Amino acid sequence: MIPGLTPGRHKYLTIALFLLPSLAFLGLFTYYPIISSFYLSFFRSDPFTVKPIFVGLQNYIEFIHNPVFWQVITNNVIFAVATILPTMLLALCFAILIDEVALKSFFRGSLFLPKVVPYAALAMIWVFLYEPNIGPINRFLDLLGLPTIGWLGSSQSSLLAIIISMIWRNFGYYMLIYLAGLQNISRDLYDSARVDGASWLNRHLHVTIPLLGPSTLFVFVVSIIQSFKAFTQVQLMTRGGPGYSSSILIYYTYEFAFKFWKMGKASTLTSIMILMLIFLVILAFGFYGRRITYEMK
Amino acid sequence: MFTRAGKWVKYTILTIASLITLVPFYFTAIMAFKAPKQILSGRYLLPPLHPTVDNFLRVFGAAPFLTYLLNTIIVVTGILALQLLVIIPAAYVFARIDFPFSGAIFGLYVIQIMLPLQALIVPNYRVINTLGLVNTRLALILPFVGSGYCAFLLRQTFKQVPQSLVDSAVIDGCTHFGLIRHVFLPLAKPTLAVFALISVATHWNDYLWPLIITDNDSVRTLTIGLGMFVQHQSGADWGLLMAGTLFITGPLVLLFLLVQRSFIESFMSSGIKG
Repeated sequence: MIPGLTPGRHKYLTIALFLLPSLAFLGLFTYYPIISSFYLSFFRSDPFTVKPIFVGLQNYIEFIHNPVFWQVITNNVIFAVATILPTMLLALCFAILIDEVALKSFFRGSLFLPKVVPYAALAMIWVFLYEPNIGPINRFLDLLGLPTIGWLGSSQSSLLAIIISMIWRNFGYYMLIYLAGLQNISRDLYDSARVDGASWLNRHLHVTIPLLGPSTLFVFVVSIIQSFKAFTQVQLMTRGGPGYSSSILIYYTYEFAFKFWKMGKASTLTSIMILMLIFLVILAFGFYGRRITYEMK
Repeated sequence: MFTRAGKWVKYTILTIASLITLVPFYFTAIMAFKAPKQILSGRYLLPPLHPTVDNFLRVFGAAPFLTYLLNTIIVVTGILALQLLVIIPAAYVFARIDFPFSGAIFGLYVIQIMLPLQALIVPNYRVINTLGLVNTRLALILPFVGSGYCAFLLRQTFKQVPQSLVDSAVIDGCTHFGLIRHVFLPLAKPTLAVFALISVATHWNDYLWPLIITDNDSVRTLTIGLGMFVQHQSGADWGLLMAGTLFITGPLVLLFLLVQRSFIESFMSSGIKG
């Protein structure tokens, strides 16, 4: 700490001056919005009501009875799980592989590169790759003699198509986080495991993976948040369709707010999204419990 | 398992993976330089025999991409500058000064990391509307300034500064500002560089917020410009679309390739990890 610099009341003045600017921004654009969306979620507010009308829990109840809402929630869960698990698994495997070969920096760089592509550009690139007739993916399937797929245009595959593009973009980034974690694992542990006769697979299963716990938590939390932000791809690749087959919570919220201008319902969806995020993050931290305490110190 | 066969398996897997990550860039690039006729020809997935910049000229003719580029640069640098301006002092206080409730107050910053602004677009739209800032560049900047992520990273970094350095600077008569400027910031350079890149890449990427908060070309940024451009194109003019795509991606890819090695090294050694 900093002794003798600013004794007494001065100290608190300094602290206040140093903290207030950032706290003001946090308050105005994070905490006030959270409170105001919970508040407005109890009102009906749309282009047909002059002043918001208090309706209690009605917005929530209407969503609970709305099958589209449940489809969107299901999509969101599928989207999250089906992106997070493969992304993490690929990231982990490639981190371990890259750690054990020469040419590290080439492979690191090329696997990370998709991460710098803006989502709007990613969407366009993949719309082309998925193009049913001239798109390279279907051409490639055709070449192998496999049946081609409707990808973005089919309600069976639209969500999957977006998920694949997400995995492509992000696994290199998570791989880098795992690689950073790997640098912290002492080589001695591998040597003693080898002396004990542990195979390559066993060394990684029993040394690497447990010791990468904190990295895994970080990756998990970041990817949960990612899955709630995936608006750009949905809007540019499928507009949530066909039907609602690839709509996720953030897109659904956007439609309520800025297509139908139903701000009350949009606030309800926002509140549900905030609650889900908080719940998932608490769950993740609870799962890893103690490990994170030393990591966050 | 460091046998020759194991090694070849590893290289093969990594090479295939690299191909999968790099090939889409290749397609984007070759399409952007092809005339429409060539795209529909049989060898359309091979490099163009007669590369043309026509597509780029048509893109610039159809939408003000240079204005978008300028706006993007203003917005991303504005965000980064303000983030550092307000967060550096806060991170310094959290890292180096003891005071009651510091943990709880810092918690407000950490929670913010987990609540992306995208989730809060509806209430934030109302805030910006109340402030009368709809359709301004300022509206594209302000919501991102209070970055919990920046606070978290810098606090970690500032904590690692040796106390002896701080002590001697204090004896030399350094004030808080002097300490931050001459002791903490120089030592935090790698973290600052990594954060700067992440911040720029993140906000270069912003789409949803600009989509709802802007409604004319004079304030629009590249990503949203591309989105609008795409929606105004009828039919699939792939050369044109890929030229636009390449134009908004190119600067970031170049920036990354330039600083790749040092970025990855400092990314891995700074606090940005699990």
